[in-house]
Amino acid sequence: MDFDFLQPTDLDEVCKLLNEYKGKVKIISGGTDFMIDLHKDELSPEIEYIIDVSNLRDLNYIKEDDNKIIIGAGTTHNEIANNPIVNKWAPVLAKATNSIGSPQIRNRGTLAGNIVTASPAADSVPALLVLNGKVKIKTSSTTKEIPLEDFFIKPYQSKINQDELIVEISFKKPPMECKSGFKKLTRRKAVDKARLNIAVLALQNNIDEIEILRIAPGSITPTPERFEKTENILLNKRPTKELIKKAAEQVSSTMIEKSGYRWSTEYKKPVIKTMTRRILTRVLEVE
Amino acid sequence: MKADVINKSSNRVDGYEKVTGKAKFGADINFGNQLYAKTVYSEYPRAKIKKIKLNKAKKLDGVVEIITAEDVPGTNEMFGRFPVLAAEEVKYVGDGIAVVAAESQEIAKKAVKLIVVEYEEIEPILDMKKAVKDTKELVHSDKEDNIIEHSHHLMRKGDIEKGFKGADVILERTYYTPFVDQAYIEPEVVISIPDPYRKGIEIHGSIQNPYSVQENIAKVMDHKISEVKVIHSTIGGSFGGKDESVMMMAARTSILAERTKRPVKMVLTREESMTESCKRHPYEMNYKIGAKKDGTIVAIQDEVYTQGGPYNNKAMFANWRGSVHATGPYQVDNVKTDYYGVYTNTIYGGAYRGFSAPQTVFGIESLIDELAEELNMSPKEIRLKNCLKPGDTFATGQKMGKDNIPIPLKEIIKEVCEKADYEKKVKKFKEYNKKHSEIKKGIGISCTLRGAGLGGEGIDTAGATITIDKDGSITLISDLTEMGQGMRTAHAQIAAETLGVSLERLSFINTDTSIIMDGGPTVASRGTLAGGQAVIAAGKKLKDRLKKVAAEKLNCDKEVIIIKNDQVYEYDNVNNMIDFDELIGVCIAEKGISLSAQGWYNPGPEELSEETGQGNAYPTYVYGCAVTEIIVDTKTGEVGVEKIIAGYDIGTPINPQQVKGQLYGGILQGLGYGLMEEFEQKEGYLKTDNFDDYLIPSIKDIPDINVILFDFEDDFGPYGAKSVGELGIELVAPSLVNAFKNATNNRIREIPLNLERASLGKNLSK
Ligand SMILES: Cc1cc2nc3c(=O)[nH]c(=O)nc-3n(C[C@H](O)[C@H](O)[C@H](O)COP(=O)(O)OP(=O)(O)OC[C@H]3O[C@@H](n4cnc5c(N)ncnc54)[C@H](O)[C@@H]3O)c2cc1C
Repeated sequence: MDFDFLQPTDLDEVCKLLNEYKGKVKIISGGTDFMIDLHKDELSPEIEYIIDVSNLRDLNYIKEDDNKIIIGAGTTHNEIANNPIVNKWAPVLAKATNSIGSPQIRNRGTLAGNIVTASPAADSVPALLVLNGKVKIKTSSTTKEIPLEDFFIKPYQSKINQDELIVEISFKKPPMECKSGFKKLTRRKAVDKARLNIAVLALQNNIDEIEILRIAPGSITPTPERFEKTENILLNKRPTKELIKKAAEQVSSTMIEKSGYRWSTEYKKPVIKTMTRRILTRVLEVE
Repeated sequence: MKADVINKSSNRVDGYEKVTGKAKFGADINFGNQLYAKTVYSEYPRAKIKKIKLNKAKKLDGVVEIITAEDVPGTNEMFGRFPVLAAEEVKYVGDGIAVVAAESQEIAKKAVKLIVVEYEEIEPILDMKKAVKDTKELVHSDKEDNIIEHSHHLMRKGDIEKGFKGADVILERTYYTPFVDQAYIEPEVVISIPDPYRKGIEIHGSIQNPYSVQENIAKVMDHKISEVKVIHSTIGGSFGGKDESVMMMAARTSILAERTKRPVKMVLTREESMTESCKRHPYEMNYKIGAKKDGTIVAIQDEVYTQGGPYNNKAMFANWRGSVHATGPYQVDNVKTDYYGVYTNTIYGGAYRGFSAPQTVFGIESLIDELAEELNMSPKEIRLKNCLKPGDTFATGQKMGKDNIPIPLKEIIKEVCEKADYEKKVKKFKEYNKKHSEIKKGIGISCTLRGAGLGGEGIDTAGATITIDKDGSITLISDLTEMGQGMRTAHAQIAAETLGVSLERLSFINTDTSIIMDGGPTVASRGTLAGGQAVIAAGKKLKDRLKKVAAEKLNCDKEVIIIKNDQVYEYDNVNNMIDFDELIGVCIAEKGISLSAQGWYNPGPEELSEETGQGNAYPTYVYGCAVTEIIVDTKTGEVGVEKIIAGYDIGTPINPQQVKGQLYGGILQGLGYGLMEEFEQKEGYLKTDNFDDYLIPSIKDIPDINVILFDFEDDFGPYGAKSVGELGIELVAPSLVNAFKNATNNRIREIPLNLERASLGKNLSK
């Protein structure tokens, strides 16, 4: 396959090119998903132009204002995992991005790339979901922002058009007292996709009642999502072992509701229950 | 005699080239005007080939030649029934049907997609047991059954029925192992060029066994063996794997090279490598063991099926090795063993580090633990009680013992268990497990003995040539191959030790079949054992010549000349001396002496009966014992290996650092085998064909490993060295499943011990 490899120097130029070559163009960022598609001949045959955004400074930043954290689409997993703002406000995201692949992959792979690929097992996604992340998308003429929850269509397909560029991912700063956790289960201890993963964010008031609870398990539904029904079991209550058990069971049965009974269900059903129970017990500090 | 060069952890003689990137691997080698070849592979596990349509591909700009089975000038069947290209029927998904040679890799890739093959599908034979029972459905229609030729090996010792009659307990157990990959970093490469100077062909590439490639290609090309020249490039790992696949690649590229009169290069992608190259044979091991109440084993019977795929040239050898080792390192009076290799329409089994041992040791070492459980004995005690001791006889009837072959198993087991704090840990973990309901800890043992070298598989001959140049620099040509294992350095140390010179003088060249004698394959951990002896023989010849000249020069008897540390002098009269370099000058310029000598090692054949398997299987043995500690999350099935303590008697290490490197490497591959490695196939199609799905251990999976080297005296090998290459891989999987049983009280009889097996007790497949 032959391509023209384009390296525009600013966002407007990117959007202009995306518009000009619509239907024939694809973005490459860190390339850690893209190169595999290329190797496997899985890129659409219509593609004639590749736009490299990996060197764009305009996509690479982590900023905060009074109530938001804003992460440039081209920020790498390592940059996120090691960033003081992220570690202060969203340790769940730091942990999730730090679990991706290997140091080499984390040095190349970007946040936008991870979400656009829309793998059901993507590690940054559960963390971004519990942070109520938003995706900012730009074209040559428009800019819009959509919640990450609404970003996925089906496995490996997200709501992004060929002329669209993700410019940033942002989320509201959770209250400082929030507690959170991320857990990833793999077949080996490094460089492995998640067999299961889960992120949790919670806030309890001074009498331990749960005021905020967000649970996003990964790798068990076609597209990652928050399990609000499960959250409701615990919301506004004091967490107990029994409630947590009930919530864990709920995750398990919701999985089957949404994904059906698959070859892996026999394993995933009890294990996601255990993982949910453990992470809730830990985050909510239930004895 | 105190050694000057051997038994030292000197740097590798090829370290400079490797570290600086100077060493050229196959893919780095290019010849002017070369073409690129790519194979069209079968789309079905089994089908008749109705039609091959080449037209479109032939018309593609840049395609120079396309060959099919019809174009093979000589035989289309190589050793083990491997076809160069499938003619009438494809028998697995890795069968080649046509090969394109084009001006670029990209064009070759495009052309392959333009070739259309029409098939008539046939129900593939996939299940090993079914293939054995059902002789109506045959992988090869000219055969009466699906048993691989010469792959049935047996062992008959004592009286098996009487043995079981005398037993207080009898256990019957079956163990299974999967297809696994050597997972070398470098995928296979071959470049064939028409010999520029004479009739014939020159082949370069990542070739583990140049002579067998040479011999097979001669037949395929209808050439004399001497007209085929094979030179191996720097090899990036092989572990037994770069053999059948590179033979097929060499055949295909040689045909193309002769037809186009241009060099032809073929580099496999990882997917092609995983599909087309050999794997470790999967085993089904049906064991029956009988023992007295006190733990004494009285009889072992086993029937083992090893999966071969559609073609096989290793089962006949590997199964022999397996049949010899099936009862492990134990004294058993009554033995009945049968090994069978089986043809199936799947990927195929071949050599991978261990050559039957990883499977067999997993089986027997699990079985011994199960027997211990049944008898309420400790796994350590049952091994100490039954392990072979001086005076005992091995399964083959071979006498083991001090005057014959050292048999230090008891010492090794004791010391390894002591270093591992075995008994204390057993108690400690028991306490821990009482307190923890989900997370469990466990500890497991395994031990082994391994026949060194080829033994009864074939004559263990090897050769080496040493040449000293005018300036005293020395070239060592071994007729075995360096694949990364460090053989060159071991050979150079042995040469330097024998000659009495420093290692810095030594330099190597890659094996070239046109200048050396066929020294057999570089397998069976024989590089040092057999190859080292050949180096000593060559060194001794040269040393003798040097001494003769030195004696004349120093005016004394040849017998009192000492050559040591680059100095040549009279024994007891050190001042009567001549510098080594000066002596070389005298030899060459004044006396006209040849300073090139070939050494040849021939231990002769081992004597064994085909009817009973009885006899001396191997000239000597190496030994090992490992203790593995694990932590298990019983809910998720995560198994973490925390610590491995392993002791080995491999004889005198020529280079202790390299020996440890070999053992660490083997242990890690064994860890992968036990925990995660496995090819998944569905209805004959390969589901796992790259490292995203085929998982091998990462740096983070590596536990704390403590390797202890024993050196019990054994003067069979060169300077007391024996074998090390394969031993390290054997012990991890069995000690791991034994530790898992210790931790969870669940016995796993099929590896790998992945998340599903560890939590559900069974595998799930897509
Ligand atoms: C060895 C290995 C291990 C891995 N391990 C993990 C893991 O543990 N967990 C995990 O979640 N993932 C893992 N991955 C997947 C991958 O690294 C991540 O998904 C990564 O975040 C992708 O980012 P990238 O910048 O490399 O994307 P690219 O490959 O450059 O692009 C991916 C997709 O996103 C699109 N894209 C990229 N940037 C933009 C943008 N700004 N706007 C619009 N579209 C865009 C591209 O067009 C493409 O379709 C692994 C990959 C490899 C090769």
